[in-house]
Amino acid sequence: MAIANWGRFIVRAEIHSSSDSVVSYGFDLTESSIFVVTEWHAAIGTPVTVRLSFPKILEPTDVPARIGDIRVAGEPGEPGGIRLVFDTSSQDIREKLVSLLERVNAPITTTAAENRPCRVLIVDDSWLIRDMFTYGTAKFFERPGALAVDHAEDAERAWGKLARSTYDLVIIDYFLPTEDGASLIARLRSDERLSHTPIVAISVGGRDAREATLSAGADVFVDKPLIFRDLFNTLRMLAEGPGPSRQAAERKAILVFDDSPFALALTRAALESAGFSVAIAGDLTSFESQCAAFNPDLILVDVQMPEAFGDDVALTLRRWRGVEIPILLVSSLDPNELARRAQRAQASGYICKGAGMSELVRRCRELLEVAHDG
Amino acid sequence: MMDDLLAKFLPQFLAHTRTRVATAIASTAQRDRAAVAKTINELHTVAGEAGLLGLTDVFPLVRDCEQKAKRLRETSAESDVEVLLAALHHLEQVIEGVATPGQPRDDRATPAR
Repeated sequence: MAIANWGRFIVRAEIHSSSDSVVSYGFDLTESSIFVVTEWHAAIGTPVTVRLSFPKILEPTDVPARIGDIRVAGEPGEPGGIRLVFDTSSQDIREKLVSLLERVNAPITTTAAENRPCRVLIVDDSWLIRDMFTYGTAKFFERPGALAVDHAEDAERAWGKLARSTYDLVIIDYFLPTEDGASLIARLRSDERLSHTPIVAISVGGRDAREATLSAGADVFVDKPLIFRDLFNTLRMLAEGPGPSRQAAERKAILVFDDSPFALALTRAALESAGFSVAIAGDLTSFESQCAAFNPDLILVDVQMPEAFGDDVALTLRRWRGVEIPILLVSSLDPNELARRAQRAQASGYICKGAGMSELVRRCRELLEVAHDG
Repeated sequence: MMDDLLAKFLPQFLAHTRTRVATAIASTAQRDRAAVAKTINELHTVAGEAGLLGLTDVFPLVRDCEQKAKRLRETSAESDVEVLLAALHHLEQVIEGVATPGQPRDDRATPAR
């Protein structure tokens, strides 16, 4: 087992002393200490409690500690902060830290290759950051396709992508044109469907940007210039690690194509509450991009749409794109007509909208062989 | 699960559908031949949405209106205008019945042929 990555990942760090509370982030986590990026400091030896967390990776864990060292900011990539030395007299705390550290360096299992990719949306108006991120992740991850990276250059485009798809993590720059990152984070947190999405805020804005994005609901704030290695290690834990982080991404994925926004919202709500991961498309352009980015296990396609007939879409996927996953036509057309169209399109079957959502969910479960436990 | 979905999505469905049906009634009453195709599309959408929501009273009525609108598109006959208008008004009443469940429901849910 290589040890190069030990502790080189990012966690949220909340420091509570007898007089202050500070929220920031930490890295360089070892069994005995962590480095926390912060302008706050107290005398060396001051006792504190640090709560470490990261959504889907590390449940909030309170660790008693004391300030062991103070470092002023140096070169880019050497932020200022304090090293906290843990009081590891508690067996429980020691075991949690060791378990966490083992997870980051756990070898990639063979079954991981069958897992769905960890889907990340990076919202940054800098093409350089977006390109570096894409290049870096392609080089960093040993398993091709472990990470699927999507981009948006402003809040509005990001919101459009978030509305159509599901992401395991969203990385949001604070300084965005028109609407800033904090506002986008607040929108995410107030949306019922998206409110639990893990969010990492990034910025060159320092303390102001950190306070604004954390107040808006970001899980972690990371200063630019980014230490890509640490961020990628965090992503690796989301993407490759065992445990709860993979549960969401391992759900069967269904792409729904319908020109009715209402039907899309309703279908998504029903399928998500049934335990599926769902992406939606309301037009051909969106459908094309979702097919490529979302990597669905099943496609549901409406028949009568302004841009195309769903049976023509299905036939094109089958005949010209070599798509082999199940495709279902979904329509309020007469069942005989629908059956004829499904057969012509080489679809896996059809669902009459008149049969209701319960039937639609049942057919999806049946096709994907997902057990119904509720 | 469906109860939760119905509670969440029914108000939105009713709002959209009232507008769509009112627009269809207005354009049909004005004998706006150019609007028939749009009426057909709108009714088709409403049918799908009602079906997915499990509104079993509404779904066949909307499908019936859609068929009558298609017939009007083919014939442009005055008699078919009247038939479609009657079906749309009936649909309008049934939708109001769904919106106010305390009220007596229209028992003519089976579409007239």
